[in-house]
Amino acid sequence: MSRPWRMVALAVLIMVLVVALTPYLWLIMTSLKTRLDALADNPVWLFTPTFEHYPKIFIDKGYLPLVMNSLVVATASTAISLAVGVPAAYVFARHDFPGKEDLFFFFLTTRMAPPISVVVPMFLMFTYVGLIDTRLSVILAHSTFNLSLVVWMMRGFFADIPREIDEAAQMDGHTRAGMFLCVLLPLAAPGMAATAVLCFILSWNEFLYAFILVAFEGRTLTVGIPGLVTPHGTLWGQVAAVAVVATLPIIVFTFLVQRHLVRGLTFGAVKG
Amino acid sequence: MTVAFRDVRKVFPDGTVALDGFNLTFESGEFVVLLGPSGSGKTTACRILAGLEQASNGTVEVDGRDVTDLPPRARGMSMVFQNYALYAHKSVYDNIAYPLRVRGWARGEIDGRVRAVARLVQIETLLGRRPRQLSGGEAQRVAVARALVWEPSICLMDEPLSNLDAILRLQTRTQLKRLHTELGTTFVFVTHDQEEAMTLGTRIAVLKDGRLVQFDTPRTIYHRPATRFVAEFIGRPAMNTIDGTIANGRFEAGDFTLPAPGRADGPVTLGIRPEHIGLRRAAAPETISFRLDVIEVVEPDMLLFVERGDVHLVVRTEAAPEGLGHDTEVHLAFPEDRLHLFATRDGARLAQGVPPAP
Repeated sequence: MSRPWRMVALAVLIMVLVVALTPYLWLIMTSLKTRLDALADNPVWLFTPTFEHYPKIFIDKGYLPLVMNSLVVATASTAISLAVGVPAAYVFARHDFPGKEDLFFFFLTTRMAPPISVVVPMFLMFTYVGLIDTRLSVILAHSTFNLSLVVWMMRGFFADIPREIDEAAQMDGHTRAGMFLCVLLPLAAPGMAATAVLCFILSWNEFLYAFILVAFEGRTLTVGIPGLVTPHGTLWGQVAAVAVVATLPIIVFTFLVQRHLVRGLTFGAVKG
Repeated sequence: MTVAFRDVRKVFPDGTVALDGFNLTFESGEFVVLLGPSGSGKTTACRILAGLEQASNGTVEVDGRDVTDLPPRARGMSMVFQNYALYAHKSVYDNIAYPLRVRGWARGEIDGRVRAVARLVQIETLLGRRPRQLSGGEAQRVAVARALVWEPSICLMDEPLSNLDAILRLQTRTQLKRLHTELGTTFVFVTHDQEEAMTLGTRIAVLKDGRLVQFDTPRTIYHRPATRFVAEFIGRPAMNTIDGTIANGRFEAGDFTLPAPGRADGPVTLGIRPEHIGLRRAAAPETISFRLDVIEVVEPDMLLFVERGDVHLVVRTEAAPEGLGHDTEVHLAFPEDRLHLFATRDGARLAQGVPPAP
């Protein structure tokens, strides 16, 4: 790239970063501002930070269990989606059967309906089986959309593994199950890690299903935030504190797997 | 140990018939080469023997036992793949040790076996590497080591040399030959390269369109090809073939005629290898004159492309006579014991005295 173009690219990059990061910086600042500073008509950039919101919300108002709920829901729905989706993706990548591509597409269509249209029947179903306001209901609901993600991403990763590897494993003495568990899963592990992180993030961030399905015990972090909008006004400092904590795992995970994440989203089109 | 394909037929879901009425029997200790052009079914035959592919009909027997429905792991065979199929997440050592681990060998035994086989294929120094750090030739040897480490009764190789460059291919070829001599393991080797087949095989199975055409030693395949197809497929440059007829004990194709005593009348195809045509300095009773078109030098030999009317031939000769050039006249001799006659209709070899099919 020539020098002028490099400058242009840099300028665009900076603009994107500013647009993307300013709200987040604003969020962090708000979580450290007093109520007065946060609501000031002219934005206050220099202020004495206060750490009152964090203990207030997580200890006094008991939001700590919500972190735990989010963690359990995200982890469990990720685990379920992987357990079901990874073997399915392998079959899609390796075997031919009538209607295969239709079925594969069907997995995607589960994500096409607006969630709000699905969540009411889901609410009724979970009520009927007595699962309403349990973490399990949210776990299952999240698994429905994560499953399609797993199947779509992992198919690409499995397709990247040469078929001869399967055959070599069988010649080396494996059963088909042994081949899948002992040879293919380790080879697909980087892709699985990336997929798992994406599932985790989607579930962790999800609001609508969780908001409808749980109200008290099973509340996740995202559902907890609207609770801070009170008749006496919004507690912006506490909202920001919850939001900061809620974004932390996502930032950490994204940094950990960003390389694989890009690869996974291109469905194996990029050869590593 | 005897391995037998009995009337094996393989039809793929898309309707392709890869094997059709395929029969082949060989003994242990052989180096069997499955040779044929692409689409001849040679790889399919190998994969059916391995158990990676299911025969649609027919059976595969090992020592009289039907193994057609056995999974690959229960057949006592190993395989070297064209792309090597090494486990990218394991070291070379672990790749080689893997079949032993899967088959539940004792830990102490594994180490000795791995190091011994690594020494055999000369990769002792690479044991700590990862597959992606290997060159093609090294990866190929690791694949061979992995296939031999547990001393399978048969080692199958599906075009294992195809991804190597020319020099390495020759070296590896020699090494495989030596391995076979040293180990006495039965090798089944798939290739489309007739030179590989001729140098490696103790016996060559030539396949065409899913059927076995000939199964013989390289020597017999070369000297007594069973069909015109085998004749033209084996040997470079390919055998010359001339379509003509036998009449009154002579072969005739235009004004090209040769004595063919004891042959029945009818349409035949005459074949003679380029290296069996004699080049004479002067015309003689047994020679036929041809016009020289092009000379190709393939040191130390020369290829002469000659023609007489509609008959075009290639002559391979070691001697380099002076004064040969475009449009000069050459005198060629066709030794009778070097002539092959094939039925024009189906290409089958015609033995002395057997009349060609009408």
